[in-house]
Amino acid sequence: MPVSGVLISCAEGAAPDVSRKIADIGGVEVHGVIQDNRIVAVVEGETVDDEVARVTELQHLEGVLSVSLAYHNFEDDEP
Amino acid sequence: MTISRRDFLKASAAAAAFAAAGAPLLNPLASGEAEAAEAGIKWGKAPCRFCGTGCGVLVGVKNNRIVATKGDPSAPVNRGLNCIKGYFLSKILYGRDRLTKPLIRKGDRMVEASWDEAMSLIAGKFRESIDKNGPDSVAIYGSGQWTVFEGYAASKLFKGGIGTNNVEPNARLCMASAVTGFMTTFASDEPMGCYDDLDLGDTYFLWGANMAECHPVLFSRLIDNRLRNPNVKIIDFGTRRTRTSQMADQYVRFNPQTDLALLNGIAHVILRDRLYDETFIKRHVVFKRGKENIGYGLEDKFKFADEPKLINFDEYREFLKTYTPEYVSRLSGVPAKTIVELAHLYADRKRKVNSLWTMGFNQHTRGTWVNNLVYNVHLLTGKICRPGENPMSLTGQPSACGTAREVGTFTHRLPADMVVMNPEHRAKAEKIWGIAPGKIPAKPTYNATEMFRALDRGDIKVVWIQVTNPFQSLPNLNRYRKGARKGDGRFVIVSDIYPTRSTELADVILPSAGWVEKEGVYGNAERRTQQWFKLVDPPGEARNDLWQTMELARRLGHGSLFPYKYVEKEIWEEYRKFNEGQGKDLAPYEAYAKARGLRWPVINGKETLWRYAEGHDPYVKKGEGVSFYKNKADHYRAVIWARPYEPPAESPDRQYPFWLCTGRVLEHWHTGTMTGRVPELKRAYPSAVCEMHPEDARKLGIKHLQKVKISSRRGSIILPVDLNGRGKAEKGNIFVAFFDEGKLINDLCIDAYCPISGEPDYKKCAVKIEKA
Repeated sequence: MPVSGVLISCAEGAAPDVSRKIADIGGVEVHGVIQDNRIVAVVEGETVDDEVARVTELQHLEGVLSVSLAYHNFEDDEP
Repeated sequence: MTISRRDFLKASAAAAAFAAAGAPLLNPLASGEAEAAEAGIKWGKAPCRFCGTGCGVLVGVKNNRIVATKGDPSAPVNRGLNCIKGYFLSKILYGRDRLTKPLIRKGDRMVEASWDEAMSLIAGKFRESIDKNGPDSVAIYGSGQWTVFEGYAASKLFKGGIGTNNVEPNARLCMASAVTGFMTTFASDEPMGCYDDLDLGDTYFLWGANMAECHPVLFSRLIDNRLRNPNVKIIDFGTRRTRTSQMADQYVRFNPQTDLALLNGIAHVILRDRLYDETFIKRHVVFKRGKENIGYGLEDKFKFADEPKLINFDEYREFLKTYTPEYVSRLSGVPAKTIVELAHLYADRKRKVNSLWTMGFNQHTRGTWVNNLVYNVHLLTGKICRPGENPMSLTGQPSACGTAREVGTFTHRLPADMVVMNPEHRAKAEKIWGIAPGKIPAKPTYNATEMFRALDRGDIKVVWIQVTNPFQSLPNLNRYRKGARKGDGRFVIVSDIYPTRSTELADVILPSAGWVEKEGVYGNAERRTQQWFKLVDPPGEARNDLWQTMELARRLGHGSLFPYKYVEKEIWEEYRKFNEGQGKDLAPYEAYAKARGLRWPVINGKETLWRYAEGHDPYVKKGEGVSFYKNKADHYRAVIWARPYEPPAESPDRQYPFWLCTGRVLEHWHTGTMTGRVPELKRAYPSAVCEMHPEDARKLGIKHLQKVKISSRRGSIILPVDLNGRGKAEKGNIFVAFFDEGKLINDLCIDAYCPISGEPDYKKCAVKIEKA
């Protein structure tokens, strides 16, 4: 199962709210809300395609400005 | 996988994100834990395979396969973060339909062949065509996805071996106007500034550039800058509301093509209100005016040569008289008051001002002019060549700068800004290449559009396409797709990693190695040259394009052009001779193996952040402040050009009442041949849609997601209308992305181009819309 670490930039003041909404998306865990309206989260999926679906969902959340990818491990993804 | 290892991997993922965010103290891992979880993974560095930003990626390899990627924390461009396209790096090499064997056309079928068979056939076709029709009947067409080595080998073989200037890149469709803009204003290609300006400035004018979607990592740097400094202002000039517009402080909508008038209007106000920097102008600037009513390149074999004349400041002022805020407002739709305010903002001495642009300016029938005009504003105000204030042209392909522009894989260019028209330049190239004097032809042949027109007419018989997809990306596509299959001796070779809309028209398809399956060097938009080593083997019999080109050379009797053992390193050291002492100096190959890229000129191992600026660029002498030292003809000054507003090649009328603009979206890159291989991505943005203004839709009785037929004078297409997408078309405009290989929107685009740069305009043509 692939795993990725992402950094989510939110609009001014929106991070706590976004962080709560993220909890409702399966496969995404919030690991920390940090300075400058940013959230560190870990995304998991059965496949890379699942992960991308979840990140796409994150991008469409109200208050999310951008989602950046810091780390991606997909060594168990089926060839 | 054990639970604990998975937890460590998750912690590693979080730790990388914390570190990239500058909060490493929150790293939950004890020392050694991440290494344990990642046991067996070997990491290597590479620039990202996608756009021209040039983000650093750490690529994790296990058992000859890529199993992980990280934003490279040591990479100054992206500091540990990649955009969403980073997810596709896991997939681009591993799509199920990867090409792994050479294929030769037998009637309607493509049949597997050996390399020897395929290369013999190709070499035979080249030889036959050269013997019968001369060297100008064969051509090579590459792109800014070529590594430096691949582009260099192609140029050397064709210009220096075969003896034809039939070498062109996809960059002609993408960056050519930026090149001619730089060359005509500064006599040297590529920007004076660098990405550091995104952190150091406080005022950013974006011109027709959807940075939030197309250069997300750079846009994040802008947004981070604004978070730190509430004074930062982002002004988005556009013809379409985008994600960038939503995040900008001000969105300025203008009518297509009137960027020419707006920039002249801004210059008019700067002069009228005496906002210019008189000292800078006196020391560093000359004024020129060239030919006007210069045409649109719509006829085959169109030719144009500018005739620049020096003018003085008063004549320039006189030229600008027409461009009053009121006149420009009538043309552009931007309120006169806004034009005055923005001119004052551009000239505000307390502000550090930058301009950023990409295809909105470059894909423009007056692309060279509009590049000139944005430099005018910076030169008038002296806001140039200083940390934090510069004009900056962004790029779309990973080595549009490094390969297409710097190696010079255009018909008229040679490495290091040299051109085939100049006898001294040819002589220098012939000497470095060790070929007979007079071998390189003195006349440029065809720009990209003209090259495919020549194939259609039959003047070019054999064309080899590498690392790009012209039979999806050319404008007025239908003509060129038909032309490729007209027979009568025409022979098309396509090297790629996947089947594309171009391979389907090929007579031979060659399976290529991609990205880290080969060693490479790319150069990004800020003059940063980045090297990587081969990290995994290509699949099946796939081989890199460099080998393919050298193999053709060998079979044509030009093998002596490539006498290398360590091919990449030796090509680099040879190529470097072109750049030495030219303000474009490059470091020895080993330096790039270590560094996360270096920005040229690199002198004594030190890179240059700001060109032409004393204290930053070693070519500028003490006391000069700023020196445009490449422009010897104009006494080391830059040129302010009097360039008028002229209308586009085609504007909406009663029959075709809408503007069509094409472009990219976040999820896909170029023609989608790599990103389209991620199934979920295809679901996220599965196929092209027609963005339309709700009011226009209402008038036509069209509902959201209803199918419409869009037609231009050249072709038509059926697409669903999107009234609710993340891009919002302005009234009278529609937007369609060009990645979708199932919907060739370029059939509709006009093949009009800038007469100076030869770059087509994909942003403006007239269409009509009917219910399908």
